[in-house]
Amino acid sequence: MAADNPIDPIHQFEISKIAEMQIAGIDISFTNSSLFMVFAIAATMTLFILGLSKRSIIPNRMQMLSELSYNFIANMLRDQVGDQGRAYFPFIFSLFMFIFFCNFIGLIPYTFTVTSHLIVTFAFAGLIFLAVTLIGFMKNGLGYLRIFYPSGIPIFLAPLIVPIEIISYLSKPISLSVRLCANMLAGHSILKIFAGFIVMLGFLGFAPLIFLVVLYALETLIAALQAYIFTILTCIYLNDALHPDH
Amino acid sequence: MKFFLKIFIFVLPLSEAYAEGQKSAGLPQMDISTFPSQLFWLIVTFTALYLFMWKFVIPRLSTTIEERKDKISNDINEAENLNSEASKILENYDDKMNSASLESNEIVSSSKATMNEYLDKLKKDNEIKINAMITESEKKIHQQKQQSEQEIKKATIDTIKSIVSKYVETVPSDDEISKKLN
Repeated sequence: MAADNPIDPIHQFEISKIAEMQIAGIDISFTNSSLFMVFAIAATMTLFILGLSKRSIIPNRMQMLSELSYNFIANMLRDQVGDQGRAYFPFIFSLFMFIFFCNFIGLIPYTFTVTSHLIVTFAFAGLIFLAVTLIGFMKNGLGYLRIFYPSGIPIFLAPLIVPIEIISYLSKPISLSVRLCANMLAGHSILKIFAGFIVMLGFLGFAPLIFLVVLYALETLIAALQAYIFTILTCIYLNDALHPDH
Repeated sequence: MKFFLKIFIFVLPLSEAYAEGQKSAGLPQMDISTFPSQLFWLIVTFTALYLFMWKFVIPRLSTTIEERKDKISNDINEAENLNSEASKILENYDDKMNSASLESNEIVSSSKATMNEYLDKLKKDNEIKINAMITESEKKIHQQKQQSEQEIKKATIDTIKSIVSKYVETVPSDDEISKKLN
């Protein structure tokens, strides 16, 4: 087993069952992945429960933090989508907080990164893709198909542009999910590999240690940045669905 | 990120060498048997989070933020009202000061005028009195002059008479003497 090898960078992504569960013959066991999903929402809930416990005009630190995150996402949605995006704010806000905390909890050694599994990010991206497509057709009817043929393009280019637009539209969920997953997977693997080098090199291990510290700082940035990118791209797709003329 | 992916791809064979004896050679990400469980728990946890955010966090946070905005704008309004009130009061005060100084100037000038009038009157009255006194005293002086002239005449005549009577028998009458004297 990989557990025997302390420097297997892939070991951290392995899923192990904590409690066996089955519904209709399908294995839905509570795993370490499920546990860290619970941790992520628990962290989010703790932040907001503490932040909202003593609501006052002059906020304390936790309230400041929760209001800061609220305003951050609210401004992002308002800038990207406008006032029509208000209805989707709870989803966008939850999405950001979930990915943000999953990414950050994953940075702690010996933890599991939920967002490093493609199926999780693809579930989000697929849901967003389906929802955005549905919203697009519900708000614009068949006029939504205009997004495949941008205005101002000569008609003879249509046979070229329309397939490209369709492919780029269909690849949105793939790029969205792979971006987040690959970032988490690669970053965490590199951290683990360099941590392994420290052990292997013994006294000379200080060199990879320095690199590891720098890399860890970078990974912290990436954890926040990828949550931000995922959220803002969702806002942009939503905006395309609500205003296909742009 | 491409940089890390490259490194990752480079290191992957290395790590697979370490992972010898692992039951599945591929990435854990590709293990389809874990997908139902991951999806199930993702739906459960994310739905819980979504409901929590939707029903609990967002209404509270938005009301708190709105309340703060209202409070700030109310305070600003109140401050503006107070400011305008204060400037009104200041204006009022200035007006009052101006009118008071005008009034006091009027009082001063009017009292000066009455004073001058009174002085003029007094002067005139006194002049009249003084003139009357002057004329009276002139009269008196004139009378006394005449009287004394007559007395001197008489005395002169008397003296002449007495002197003449010593040397001449016939004493001239008074009229004669006065004729000679003139």
